[in-house]
Amino acid sequence: MTMLPPTAVFYFPWEVKSLGEGKSVRTFGRLSCYEADESRASLSCHHASKEHKVFVHTLFVEPFNPIIGAQYLVLGETESYEGFGVMIRARVLNCVDGVNIALLQKAIEGQRSFFRERERKDGGVAQPADKI
Amino acid sequence: MQAGPMDEPPSILWGLDPIFSAFARLYIKDILQMTESVQVPGIYFYNNHPIYKVDVLGTVVYKRERDDFFCYGVDDGTGVINCLCWKSELFKDKDDGAGAAPGPSDPTVFDPVAELKKLKQAQQKRCRLEIGELIRVRGPVKTSRQQREITASVFYKVEDPLMAEQIQWMMDVPELYRECYDKTFQLQSDKQGESADSPLIKATNLIKDFIKQKSVSKFRTYDVLDLLEPLISRQPQAASADPEAAGPSGCQQVRQLLKEVLKVLQDEGVVYRRVKTQDEVYHVTERDKDLFIVVKDIIREDSKREKYSEKGCHVLHILSAVRQRHSFNVSKAALEIVLKSLVCNSDIVSSSDKHYTAF
Repeated sequence: MTMLPPTAVFYFPWEVKSLGEGKSVRTFGRLSCYEADESRASLSCHHASKEHKVFVHTLFVEPFNPIIGAQYLVLGETESYEGFGVMIRARVLNCVDGVNIALLQKAIEGQRSFFRERERKDGGVAQPADKI
Repeated sequence: MQAGPMDEPPSILWGLDPIFSAFARLYIKDILQMTESVQVPGIYFYNNHPIYKVDVLGTVVYKRERDDFFCYGVDDGTGVINCLCWKSELFKDKDDGAGAAPGPSDPTVFDPVAELKKLKQAQQKRCRLEIGELIRVRGPVKTSRQQREITASVFYKVEDPLMAEQIQWMMDVPELYRECYDKTFQLQSDKQGESADSPLIKATNLIKDFIKQKSVSKFRTYDVLDLLEPLISRQPQAASADPEAAGPSGCQQVRQLLKEVLKVLQDEGVVYRRVKTQDEVYHVTERDKDLFIVVKDIIREDSKREKYSEKGCHVLHILSAVRQRHSFNVSKAALEIVLKSLVCNSDIVSSSDKHYTAF
């Protein structure tokens, strides 16, 4: 039986630090620094006149070509680290420089509102789960 | 809560749902949660729509390769599903020797060996994906070893450096749900499998079929009355046992229905009453040879006259002439049926939208 990794749901960079440990997420940000010896990168994002930072553990996606200042998409699991809070252990780290961040944000919000609408309509009736 | 056999639409009607024939762009979460049909395993249901093939776009998060196939785990942000991607024959051929790109070739000479090698490399580039790359998969859903998976009929790597494709997909799918998938599949069927037409439409069609099949040229009401009886007896009998009920009797209902049908047929021009007497005789327009001859003669004679030689006869002029010569009860609709038939037989020619002339 194939053991597939869990679904990585889209989160905004400013939402990541409030997630607990062990959550599978995908998020984005500008590569602000990369410490190759520590296998640690940080992605930053500007939102609501604040700078938000997301820390990424890059061991599984190395070697990658770090372009400081470029937009990246990261997919992985959250872990807590001493001194850093929540860090994402990346399974996927793609450079997506040139992406329209505003449009991406709109698409994510559109998808979320669709699911919320659906939850409301179903009234919380449990769906039959065939997935094992 | 599993949908029982009562909740599923009968399989014979699935073809009526356009989504059944399409590659449904459902969220992977929904694909994993669709209930399997009780009637036909291998077909699934989303919101009462029968689904058997899907279309997904997502990131490869798992990869397994064998000689014959790839197994990619695809994550679209709502769920992760396995996709079984068979390798094509072209893909499987081992590179002979070099493996390097073919050297610069003379562009004027077509070298099939070099071109085939380039094709193989292009194919390999599109089909061999690594974790983190974007894949598009279309194909039927299967449940194998209690796991849902997609058997790819088409799969390829999507080059999406600016995430434009993913963003577009994320914006399109909720719209698709609202427009198609979340709308219920409306089916009208009763136990006898008849259509839900009104009795009037059914009755009209019955009479039309009768006229056509029996090549009827004229009829009286009692000739066709019994054709409509089966329609009335199928209506639910409400309080039929009560003799004091004021509802119309079966006989009266049939007569009333026939009256309505004949009105419709006259309005359409299919039948007309040449002479309005006590004896209700209905002539079938298309089989009335006399009417055809009269119309042809009118057009032929009048087309010779100077007044009509250039443009032809206007349909209203023909109508008034027919009414004078043949029968006052010929309607415009009936005349149009005659004119159409004459034009098809090349007896007359339509010189413009409403004008007709003879050869």
